[in-house]
Amino acid sequence: MPEADPQHREQRAEGVDRQADHAAIARLADELLPALIAKLGTTRLGELEVREGEWRVRLRRPFGTAPGEGRRSTDRPSRSQPGHEGHGHARPTPEAHRVARAGDPSGNGSRPHGEPDRSVATSPAVGIFRPGARAAAGTRVRAGDLLGTVDVLGMPQEVTAPADGIVGATLVEPETAVEYGQELVRIELVVPASPGPVGEGH
Amino acid sequence: MFRRILIANRGEIALRILRACRTLGIEAVVAYSEADRDSLPAQLADEAICIGPPDARRSYLSAPAVISAALVTGCEAIHPGYGFLSEDETFAEVVRAHDLAFIGPPPEVLDRFASKEGSRRLLGGLGLATIPGSQGMLRDDEHALDEAARLGYPVLIKPSAGGGGKGMRMVRTSRELESAIRVCRSEAKAAFGDDSLYLEKWLDDNRHVEVQVAVDRFGHGIHLGERDCSVQRRHQKIVEEAPTPALGTAAREQLAEAAVRAVVAAGYENVGTLEFLVDADGNAYFIEINCRIQVEHPVTEMLTGIDMVELQLRIAAGEPLGLRQADVELRGHAIELRINAEDPAHEFRPGAGTIERFHAPGGPGVRMDSHLYPGYDVPPYYDSLLGKLIVWGPDRPTAIARARAALEELVIDGVTTNVEIHRAMLENEAFLEGRMTTNMLDRIGSAAFLAAAAR
Repeated sequence: MPEADPQHREQRAEGVDRQADHAAIARLADELLPALIAKLGTTRLGELEVREGEWRVRLRRPFGTAPGEGRRSTDRPSRSQPGHEGHGHARPTPEAHRVARAGDPSGNGSRPHGEPDRSVATSPAVGIFRPGARAAAGTRVRAGDLLGTVDVLGMPQEVTAPADGIVGATLVEPETAVEYGQELVRIELVVPASPGPVGEGH
Repeated sequence: MFRRILIANRGEIALRILRACRTLGIEAVVAYSEADRDSLPAQLADEAICIGPPDARRSYLSAPAVISAALVTGCEAIHPGYGFLSEDETFAEVVRAHDLAFIGPPPEVLDRFASKEGSRRLLGGLGLATIPGSQGMLRDDEHALDEAARLGYPVLIKPSAGGGGKGMRMVRTSRELESAIRVCRSEAKAAFGDDSLYLEKWLDDNRHVEVQVAVDRFGHGIHLGERDCSVQRRHQKIVEEAPTPALGTAAREQLAEAAVRAVVAAGYENVGTLEFLVDADGNAYFIEINCRIQVEHPVTEMLTGIDMVELQLRIAAGEPLGLRQADVELRGHAIELRINAEDPAHEFRPGAGTIERFHAPGGPGVRMDSHLYPGYDVPPYYDSLLGKLIVWGPDRPTAIARARAALEELVIDGVTTNVEIHRAMLENEAFLEGRMTTNMLDRIGSAAFLAAAAR
C-alpha cells in the first residue's frame, strides 16, 4: 500500500491543516499514484519514493509471490546448504568490517549467525533510530508492541518487540544510524509459569 | 572528485569499484544484503552497511534502502555497478533528488536510451546502420509476406511489446511465416496484452562486436576500441576479447568512430557500450546501448591501460575527460573468460556452496577479478559469476597460450564451475581461427561441444 507522510508541518492551524491535507491526499491518490504505479511496473525497482511538494509518496512492490519473498527482518537468512550452522570451519575474520560501522563504535550490535534471537528487537531497515516511550528500561511489553522507529528518508519504519517481556538495555544511542537487522533493544523474556510439552522439535 | 561513495552492488564488481576508489583516495562504503555479510567487498571496505535481506528486491533493488545507506554513512555519490539499479532512470532521478551523485549517465540520458527500439531509431538517425526491418507494424498476413519478401528470408518475427523471447520466431520460408505469425500474435497477446508484430532481417552466423565509448559532461567523447563477445550460450556472454578477429583494422576504426560520433550527437554522458551484430560480409548493425560499466570492461583496460571505473567516477564528478582520441592506444590482444558457478554436465545449472580451495593464477599479462576466498559461501540468490580470468599478450596466439596456462593453474574447489567449457573453447578450431559466431555453442549443443574437445 502507498503511504503518504507530510513534512515540515509546524505552525499551521490544525483544522485548516487537516482539510488541506485531505485535499492533498485525494489529489495525490487521483493524479500521482496511477502514474507511479505504472512507473514501478516498468522498472526493476522493489520500492519507489518520490517527493511531491511537501509530500513524500512511497510505493513498495508486493512480496509473497515467489520463494524467498515476504521474509521478515526477524527471520534468519535461510542458507541453502543443509547443516550450515554446524560445519565449523574457521572463517577469515568475518567480523572485521563491522568495527567501522556508523553509529556503532562498539562493533557488537549486529546479530550473529544463528537462530532468531527473540530477546532482541532489531532494525527493520537502514536509517536513523528513534526510540519511543515504550523503549524505556523496565517497561512491560507484548510481542508486536511499538518500541520506536527507524527513519528511512523521512519515512518511519516500526521497531517492534519480538516477544512478551520487560524492556532491558537499549543498545544504540537515539538519533544514530543503524543498519538493517541491527540489534536495538533488549527484551528480558517472561518465562511462562507452566512449561509446554517436552520432546517437540529437535 | 568525490570524498566518499557508496557501492551499491556485490561480488567481483563491488571489489573492482572498491579498488578504483583506493587508487583515487576515495573512501568506499559497501552496501550489502544479509546474504553477503561475509563477502570480500564487505570485509575490505572502509565501512560496510547491511541494507536488507537476501531478496534483492528488498536490498540491492530497493531505492530507499540504498539511498538511506548512502545518506547515513555520509556518502556523496552512489556507484550502482552493473545489473540491479545501474540503468534505472527512476532510481537515478531519486538519487539526484536526495542531492547525491549517480555514477553513470544522468537520468535524462538513461531515459532517452531506456527503450531498445527508441535507441535504434535515435542512433539510426545519427549515422549508425540498424538491422533492416519491416516498415511499421504488420497489418495482416499479406503485409507480412510482402515485407518478408522485400527483406529476404530468413526473418525474425518480433512483438512490439515486451521481451524474453515470447512471441518471437525465426522463419525461413513464406509457409513458415504464415503459420508462425498466428502463434506469435497469440503469444504476444497473452504475454503483453498487445499482439502487434514486426519483422527484422535474421542474420545467420552473426558476430557480436561492441564499441566502448566515454563522453564527459562537456560533450567531449572518445572510443576505447571494440570487444568481440561472440562466444555466447543462450545469449549469455562467456568469452570476450579484443581486438575482434571479425573485422580488419580500418573497419574497426570506422565502426568505433561512427559509434562515438553518434552518441556525442545524441547527448550521451559517461561510459557506455554500443552493441552491434556483424554479418558474414562484415556489415555492422547497431542493436542496443548499455549505459553502465560492463562485466567485460577489463578487456579494454588491458589494451588501453585506462582504468574504466576511474573514468566513470571522474565523469560523474563533472571533470573533463582529460584524454583525446590520440591518447588512446590499443596494444596487443586480451581475452576474458567468465568463470561461473554452473554445471556444464547438467544444463549449466547454477550452483552454490562453500569454496574449499581457491587459487588465482598469475604471471605476465594475467589478471583475475574475483571475490572468492577459501571458506566463502557462494550464496544461491544472485547471479553465478565467480570471477573473470583476463589475459593479455602481444598477439592473439600468445594471449590464447596464456589463457590455457592460466586456466590450468586456476583452482576453485567446492562448487562446480564452467571451466570445462573454456578448456574446450581454447582448443576449438573455429575459435582458434577467430571464426566464432553467437550461435556456435547453441547450435552444436554444449554437451557435444565438450565431447568433441575431449576426443
